[in-house]
Amino acid sequence: MSDRSQLISTGKPFQYDQQRDAEFERLIKRYPTRESMILPALWLIQEQEGWISQEAIAYVADRIGTFASKVYEAVTFYTMYQLQPMGKNHICVCRTLSCWLRGKQEIVDYLKNEIGITPGKVSDDGRFSLEEVECLGHCGTAPVVQVNGEFYENMDVDKLKALLATLK
Amino acid sequence: MADKIKLFVNGVEVEVEAGKNLIDAIGAVGIEIPHLCYHPALGADGNCRMCLVGIEDGRPPLVPACKTPAQAGMKVLLNADHIKKIQHDVMEFELINHPIDCPICDQAGECKLQDYYMSYDQRESRMTVPPVAKNKKMDFGCGVVHDQERCVCCGRCVRFCRQITKTGELGIINRTDDARVNIFPGRPLNNRYALNVVDLCPVGAMTSKDFRFKQRVWFLKKDPGICHGCAKGCNIFIDHNRPKYQDDSIYRFRPRLNNQVNGYFICDEGRLSYTSENDGRLNDGRIGGQVRPLVDVLAAAGKEIERAAKTAILLSPNCSVEQMAGVKALAEKLGATLSGFSDGYIKAGDGDDFLILDDKSANRAGLALLGIDCSREFFEKAVQEAQLLINFNNKLQLSYSADDLKKLLKDTRIMAVTTHDDQMAAMADLAIPVASFSEYRGSVVNCDNILQSFAKAVTRNNDLAEIGAIAAQLGSPLQTEAERFADLGKYIGPLKNIEPDNIPAEGLNLNESEATNVKA
Amino acid sequence: MEVKLLSAKFDIKNSHKLKTAKKHGAYGTLDKIFAMKPEDVIEEVKKSGLRGRGGAGFPAGVKWGFLPKNTGKPVYLAVNSDESEPATFKDRYILVKDPHMLIEGIIICSYAIGSHDAYIYIRGEYTTQVKALQAAIDEAYAAGYLGEKVAEHDYRVDVTVHRGAGAYVCGEETALLESIEGKKGQPRSKPPFPAVAGLYGCPTIINNVQSIASLPWIIENGADAYKAYGTEKSPGTHLFGISGHVEKPGMYELPLGLPLLEVVEKVAGGVWKGRKLKGIIPGGSSTPVLLPEEAKSVTLDYESMAAHKTMFGSGGIVVLDETVDIVQLVKNLIDFYHHESCGQCTPCREGLGWMLKIIKKIVRGDGSIDDVKLLRELCDNIEMKTVCVLSAACTMPVRSYLDKFRHEFEAYVNKNASSAVQANQE
Repeated sequence: MSDRSQLISTGKPFQYDQQRDAEFERLIKRYPTRESMILPALWLIQEQEGWISQEAIAYVADRIGTFASKVYEAVTFYTMYQLQPMGKNHICVCRTLSCWLRGKQEIVDYLKNEIGITPGKVSDDGRFSLEEVECLGHCGTAPVVQVNGEFYENMDVDKLKALLATLK
Repeated sequence: MADKIKLFVNGVEVEVEAGKNLIDAIGAVGIEIPHLCYHPALGADGNCRMCLVGIEDGRPPLVPACKTPAQAGMKVLLNADHIKKIQHDVMEFELINHPIDCPICDQAGECKLQDYYMSYDQRESRMTVPPVAKNKKMDFGCGVVHDQERCVCCGRCVRFCRQITKTGELGIINRTDDARVNIFPGRPLNNRYALNVVDLCPVGAMTSKDFRFKQRVWFLKKDPGICHGCAKGCNIFIDHNRPKYQDDSIYRFRPRLNNQVNGYFICDEGRLSYTSENDGRLNDGRIGGQVRPLVDVLAAAGKEIERAAKTAILLSPNCSVEQMAGVKALAEKLGATLSGFSDGYIKAGDGDDFLILDDKSANRAGLALLGIDCSREFFEKAVQEAQLLINFNNKLQLSYSADDLKKLLKDTRIMAVTTHDDQMAAMADLAIPVASFSEYRGSVVNCDNILQSFAKAVTRNNDLAEIGAIAAQLGSPLQTEAERFADLGKYIGPLKNIEPDNIPAEGLNLNESEATNVKA
Repeated sequence: MEVKLLSAKFDIKNSHKLKTAKKHGAYGTLDKIFAMKPEDVIEEVKKSGLRGRGGAGFPAGVKWGFLPKNTGKPVYLAVNSDESEPATFKDRYILVKDPHMLIEGIIICSYAIGSHDAYIYIRGEYTTQVKALQAAIDEAYAAGYLGEKVAEHDYRVDVTVHRGAGAYVCGEETALLESIEGKKGQPRSKPPFPAVAGLYGCPTIINNVQSIASLPWIIENGADAYKAYGTEKSPGTHLFGISGHVEKPGMYELPLGLPLLEVVEKVAGGVWKGRKLKGIIPGGSSTPVLLPEEAKSVTLDYESMAAHKTMFGSGGIVVLDETVDIVQLVKNLIDFYHHESCGQCTPCREGLGWMLKIIKKIVRGDGSIDDVKLLRELCDNIEMKTVCVLSAACTMPVRSYLDKFRHEFEAYVNKNASSAVQANQE
């Protein structure tokens, strides 16, 4: 898993934008405890900023009224929360079982060798970042790649090349 | 007393208390079930898996003892081969990523991994791949040092901060074997009980900056004592040692369990107050600020008392009740006024709803039981009317500013019978050094009217007499410890027919009736 | 061989929209339900023999019967849409193609168990799916199928979607509850069971998406009609996922009880590229592997799987052809389970990490036969000593590979790399 303790500080306090603020208020009514909002609140941050900073975590803890350590626990436990800025197009390649059996390695190798993207790093032009993730639940159409929330199934290197060309 | 039930451990029938979990129930009859994450004050977590025991004919047949209530007829298996293997295996998992820090780890000698390894494992390591590396020597605040590699993720420290102090500074972040304890950046430990996590931690992951590298614990003598930091009277262990060619000194205080008083914990201030037992002590007798042999000082003291037409005597609210009895008898013999004025010991608003009290003295209730006046008017009048003030260790500098104190005592001869070389000793015409609470035997009464006795723990090279003995030398009719204790029966009913050794370990609750308390 | 009970509407255009769904019978059971007594609904579900479709296979109606009565606490329904077991990819079809069937099932279950608040826990990666689901829920609220008075009956049902964020362990029922409560997904010790003390300490029923989505059909057509499919002890149909080295991987709804090899052959087109079969994973990555000889007598139901010392699991079938390097496959699996361990209890947290390091050592060529034996022993040392069964989900299959393909591991340590099979792995 590797250590996710290191949080990045922006040096500025965090604030929800108007849309997320309203969504926070709407969602919190649907749970009997405020702490149930920890995961949804973190998702709102990620939707707004693309990643979650130290200040954002403190903001969520204080707004919900819980310990910062509890939010810190959740944000490091759940690996979908990005703790550093990602590329404009974050490419998730499934690496488990069926995708592994049907050729995910070629896709990863292509991204590493031809495009120069390695897991955890952002490409020089800021367009791409890469993450190998666990089973995405599309085993029947393996290998599968997820970019910006969209699933791209039955992938191979050619289809990948075509996809990358469309991503700004 | 709770109901008793019968169950079987390794085929042998034992009688245990109903309603307890198996660790506590069976532990109470002397059979240890090893465990790391369970703690009676924090409840069961069930993550260490060290306490797995077999239940014959049970469904399921393997249970964590911490989460299993004792039931009549239960057949608990501890010595069975398969349970022993599980204990081996859990120990192996605990140790594969555990750094071999023992030579530099403060916990050595009181470490659960060491103890359980010797009792339940003793096998060689099979680890041929690199262990997980984490952060060491992390400053968590409040004098707590954390080592993530030593940590077994039992969660006790996290639960302490969330359940007991409700300050929640600690958490276990990440998952898999990357899991580790941490504070949120910028929000370190910040509560008055933080150092308790050092005791709670079963291994050397949480250590005290104050104690770091100071002493190996197997050299320490661990004597029971009572903290004198406030009127709560928390039970402590006084851990002390006399290194070769040096003096017997205290290295740390640790909490001692007392379900009637402080439970499992003490506050950080009280914990660190051991330094004032070691430091700033008055070791010599003085006349006019000059060091003199004690025998000379006592002779001079006798003359002062004879010379004074009227004497006022002041008691510290930290004296033991035995000392108070001895001094009261002295006051009666001399016809002296006796006061316990000590308003300055009370820091209004500082107490909390857990263990810390406003009253920073240990035995104010003792003064009340002996009927000693503690009012300011009475004391100041007594001082005005007297030529000599004998101050038995009362820090008047807490109740008066330096100027006011000078004004108050400008016409009075001062004899300071004191533990510390402080303002009172400096102002005194005669200064007599005495033992502090870790160095004598006595009893104190706490804020809840519980009388607790403690024995002498520390014996310095310069072993000083305690206040009761000095009072005797100055003329108190109560000449011995036994006489002083026996005299207490006049003031404290439950002590009338009790031997000092028979006072219950958890304290004598003076609120309850004599009949239920007294053990003949 | 394929049937269309649950998947009846999957191929209809716009099946996810309320208008289309209603045309094909969505929410048709509601009047019938609210005219029944809740106990009778539970009885009907019990009679149908519906078993939990998440992997454990526990009879749903029986689970509902465990709820204590009159506790004074609210009853909660949690729908498990975490679907993270490798080789499992069935529930998302329901979310995208027939979400109203799920919502109808939620209403049926809520009424039966006396719950008014349902939480659908959906894995964070299912972004398109959560949008489709939320859109359907919004439609249902607008049309009055959810809210204060369901379809004008005097019963409130509110549904909230709660997104996970990348943790397989949250598919475990108590970890799922912890996650809804805002905590790390660390499973709880049982007892107490969720039916007694679940979400927020209240009585809670947790069921897999497919289990809940099966309810409308059962109520509409009756328990007996459901039992007409499948076998006696494993009635009904299942959304099987077939993936790996087959010609036609995909999701297929089949009655339980069909022969495994026949299904692989006739439904999924058999082993691809004309290759030979090496092994089959029958029900998701956590199930012990079957050799071709063994697979010959296996039928797709709980009893046959158990008799062959494996499990029906989530019905995720993975076919392995002759080129698969089993040692690399085991490394891939251990890597997954280690990555997903919640880190709470000692044997799994430390043990799975150790197992991963050992298998990596073997794959690198630095391993010895002692490492293989140790790996095998660790499977026994870890399994069943933990709070939850994630560790067993790792050790049970790994044990089966070590036992049934021991020669491949030995080949690695004997440094006979050429006799280890070449395959398209790293």
